[in-house]
Amino acid sequence: MRIRFGVFVVRIKLLRALLFAIVVALGSVLGTQVSFAGEAVFSPVPGYPVAPQIKLLDMDGKQVDLEKLRGQVVLVNFWATWCPPCRREMPSLQRLWKKLEKSNLHIVAVNVGEDADTVLSFMGILDISPTFPIVFDKNSAVLRAWPVRGLPTTFLIDRKGHIIYRAIGGRDFDSPESIALITKLLASK
Amino acid sequence: MALSRVLAQALSVVAFIAIPAIAADSRATIQHTVDQKTNIETWQLQDDGVEVLLIQISPDQARGFFLARGFKRVDVDYYAASCVFATVVKNQSSAPISYRLADWRYAKPGGAPRKLKLKEDWLREWKQRGVSQSARIAFEWSQHPDAQTLEPNDWNQGMTTYQVPHGSRFDLIVKWKRGAKNYEDTIRSIRCAD
Repeated sequence: MRIRFGVFVVRIKLLRALLFAIVVALGSVLGTQVSFAGEAVFSPVPGYPVAPQIKLLDMDGKQVDLEKLRGQVVLVNFWATWCPPCRREMPSLQRLWKKLEKSNLHIVAVNVGEDADTVLSFMGILDISPTFPIVFDKNSAVLRAWPVRGLPTTFLIDRKGHIIYRAIGGRDFDSPESIALITKLLASK
Repeated sequence: MALSRVLAQALSVVAFIAIPAIAADSRATIQHTVDQKTNIETWQLQDDGVEVLLIQISPDQARGFFLARGFKRVDVDYYAASCVFATVVKNQSSAPISYRLADWRYAKPGGAPRKLKLKEDWLREWKQRGVSQSARIAFEWSQHPDAQTLEPNDWNQGMTTYQVPHGSRFDLIVKWKRGAKNYEDTIRSIRCAD
């Protein structure tokens, strides 16, 4: 009995050790993917170029001027309603905005080539409608001044008005990694 | 004996978990899938952390999309006569990649490789055909960029066109670059939607 019990104890210990090894191995495989996905929400922009001008009207006909936001951290998102990844990421931008609005994050979503009616129709089908400013670049003149080759493209602008991060393609903007990066930026002087 | 058996089983579990993650980055794979509900066919190439996805767009879908963006019927018919694919390029590797659609080629079986008709080519034609500026803007940004650099986890989606008959098949040679290394893969027997 004692021997059998002893063997049983040894086996339990062995199984625990092996289970631990499996969990570590599984964690390293999955963890690599998770951290990889998270750390690349934004990529640094070499040279930190000065953000081109944005001076456009919002849904209410009120002018939004990026220059006037100098001294603030601004997320600029170029999008269109017909662009599937743009549509998918919009709710995550709103969630990000709700989480960091009080920390003084500004979001400017630049709609490319459409009008207010089209955007309003799109917002009507969203569970969470954006409350951050959406401005209209009807002739895409503003878009062409920015380093954008496809939609959606998103930029993070620092307090000095420089583009410091960029994301091409749809993202989950309220992911913990994204929030951590933007919070860090907001904490910087 | 019991120990070695348990150890062997555990290692096989670890190997089962770990090997696909390593192998996925070490060789090109191409998957062809058909959506059971819509019959839309998709080709997915994966090579060393880069994914190229081609999703069929039917002539009716192409017509509907551009009619809703201010194109005239005659112009959408002209566009829809081409074979249209939603084309996605994703960089899931840890280093930037760059590519130019001008470097890609497509060929019908037994045919010579041809260059893709690029966004700039279309835009020139639309201007000549008197397509409105707002429609041209929608067109421009709905097409896959002619050239792009993607940082890790960046991806781009947009339409690409091929001058082959609907329902016919062609091979597509895709190329991209990571640092000094050039990549080239062929996605074979892509079927143009009809």
